[in-house]
Amino acid sequence: MKKQIAVALALATAATMLFAGCAKGENSNSASKGSGDAIQLLNGKPEIDAQMQELAKAYEEETGKKIEVLTIGGNETASSKLKELYQAGEMPDIFVLEANQFANWSGKLVDMSDQQWTEDTEVEYVNEEGTLGFPYMVEACGLAYNADILEKAGVDPASLTSPEAYKEAFATLDSMKDELGLTAVVGYNVNATDVGWSSGTHVFGQYLDAGLATDDTTYIDMLNDGGKLDEERFTAFGEFIGMLNQYTDPALITGSYDDQVLGFASGKYAFVTQGSWIGATLTGDDLAAYEEAGSFKVGFAPYAFEDGLTTILNEPTSFWGVYKDGNVEDAEAFLQWASEDTAQRMFVEDMGFVSPYADCAYSSTDPFAASVTEWLGTGKHSSYHTFLKKDGLQDATSVIFQNYAKGQYKDATEFYNAMQEATTGYYANN
Amino acid sequence: MTGNTSKKALSLVLLGVGIISLVVSLVIDFMGLGFDFRGYLLIIGILGTLGGLFTLPTEKYHRNIVNFVFLFPLLFTFGVTVIIPLVLGIGYSFTDWDGVMVGRFVGLDNYIQAFHQTTFLYSVLLTALFVVINMILVNLVAFLLALLCSSKIKGVGFFRATYFLPNLIGGIVLGYIWQFAFSKALIGITSKIFGMEYSILSETNLAFWCIIIVYIWQYAGYIMLIYITGLNTVPREVLEASAIDGANAWSTLFQIKIPMIASTITICTFLTLTNAFKMFDVNLSLTGGNGSVENFLGGSLTNGTEMLALNIYTTAINKNNYALGQAKAVLFFIILTVVSIVQVRISNKKEVEM
Repeated sequence: MKKQIAVALALATAATMLFAGCAKGENSNSASKGSGDAIQLLNGKPEIDAQMQELAKAYEEETGKKIEVLTIGGNETASSKLKELYQAGEMPDIFVLEANQFANWSGKLVDMSDQQWTEDTEVEYVNEEGTLGFPYMVEACGLAYNADILEKAGVDPASLTSPEAYKEAFATLDSMKDELGLTAVVGYNVNATDVGWSSGTHVFGQYLDAGLATDDTTYIDMLNDGGKLDEERFTAFGEFIGMLNQYTDPALITGSYDDQVLGFASGKYAFVTQGSWIGATLTGDDLAAYEEAGSFKVGFAPYAFEDGLTTILNEPTSFWGVYKDGNVEDAEAFLQWASEDTAQRMFVEDMGFVSPYADCAYSSTDPFAASVTEWLGTGKHSSYHTFLKKDGLQDATSVIFQNYAKGQYKDATEFYNAMQEATTGYYANN
Repeated sequence: MTGNTSKKALSLVLLGVGIISLVVSLVIDFMGLGFDFRGYLLIIGILGTLGGLFTLPTEKYHRNIVNFVFLFPLLFTFGVTVIIPLVLGIGYSFTDWDGVMVGRFVGLDNYIQAFHQTTFLYSVLLTALFVVINMILVNLVAFLLALLCSSKIKGVGFFRATYFLPNLIGGIVLGYIWQFAFSKALIGITSKIFGMEYSILSETNLAFWCIIIVYIWQYAGYIMLIYITGLNTVPREVLEASAIDGANAWSTLFQIKIPMIASTITICTFLTLTNAFKMFDVNLSLTGGNGSVENFLGGSLTNGTEMLALNIYTTAINKNNYALGQAKAVLFFIILTVVSIVQVRISNKKEVEM
């Protein structure tokens, strides 16, 4: 009898240990749902994690309410992580979304059109279900340049408004490479394996939007209709890309993102095919190199692959949405607070963002901020319709960009044909 | 007897409480009522039921009950981690599941779409090719290493440890280490000799061989250890007898050692086969599945180095098509099962009876 009880006890202990894990998970799940407890925010930008924690602290100090920030690296991972959390019943109350991810969560997001902040901004995400996305920053993407080098070479960035002007500027810079200390005129990264999002999404996005009004969806609509490309526009775009291939650093055909940004920060490239997000790297990880190169001024030039295409892409690249079954009231209160003074100062001064809110009085220390604000002032900006392309299309397009850089296609027409085959193939297959 | 009655009563009470709480907790969960205590209730239910069964005063079924009680933790874990996900997965493959919601039942549509995808068919063929090449090369290299490490040269322990070491490093890390070697280090050589200024990883065919090299490097050491164990089981008397009969090194190897370790060869081919099929991490970190293919079934492809497992992953994660990915995973499971069964059957016939 005693023996049996001992065995039963041992069994009980073992089984309790077995279940301890499950029980714990369920506990934390329900804890996040109760009102008055901390609300959770899923942040998709690892580079601002520390600053977001500060923001949460400031919110708690001002309002006494807690907000918990979870950070997931890279947007693709954030989206699949979110699905995991959903399956586990542990959805955060606020989470990061790119424009094409809203459809996934159809019916599960709160319509925030009644919120006060919507009156202070024009770039919130709106679809037929209402105002679903809270904009927390604006990111610019054009051809970033090193203003000091252009000045030394006598190239006026404001004159870069046509393919001809670019041709001339590139040739001038190329002939003065040694004098200016350049490795190459352009730092154009086409590594499809690790930096495919850059060529496949951002550079490709210039074909879709350069020169167009923000609500002009001509080319994205064509693309989403079975992967069609406009032959004339894409060939012109291809000519321009061909020029980038001619003047780029060949090491970047399979180089890393870090190489590319560091090269620009150290003044080895006059142009780089990245957006305003590299500003944080110039003043962060690459600060030493950037200072050694003279903390040069930077700015954006448009991808003028046809005459008169003089806009840069300048809009939010991701938004925050509020989960319907979460703590909606507290989440909305936080977002309203985030659009106001204290939070705006932290977004702009600490995180280096350009604010999408009209009444934001702060100016950023980010190297690109001046240029981005100037572009916003001129009204010459286009949208990121590239985020509305079919999920994962960049995996296919980036390979074609890489092939072109490797010299596999002899001219822009062949590049167009290959790209057209890749995009139609992708739309038909997936 | 009072002892027996009280024991019976205890057992019945435990059983009753156990079954009731088990049922209640499951009902709460399935109805989505979301009470916090349902997890504890489930545990109490299971423990109560098991305790009740264990203390049940029966002679006839006691042995069966004890067997069940002791098997239960294993069966339960196996059910939760393998059986339930498998059944759910097969279920999801017949719907339009997008990782969030199941919209509707679509029948075999996902399977039909998978077979119409040239990228998927390409991945299947590429994986088959990869498996065949690897099965041969890994076993060959591992066997040669095993012969080396079971001979009487100096520093055998050091060699064994070194060859095994790559296996201790995770595949993702290995992939990035070798990506550095192929991209940064080798590029200096290729640019001088061939004037090729970019990494060989961006050339589909070369990249495929790069994956094979890394995989052999990672895996041969592990298989080597199994071969060493196998070679050590060959009885010394047999080897001595053959030496006395005048067998040279070659005939000892081919006519004694290899037939004697046929069962080891079965295990090793089986291991390399299934593992090569499931190749994922090195593939992801080394090339990400990229590579351009000029002509495959009348079209060009951009996933030239994408193996089956990675194809399933990108379908679900990058292309946001969870249901199609799930259908492919089910196909993958079927292929792997069939291949494994066939392989074991064939190998078993060739084994020498000891």
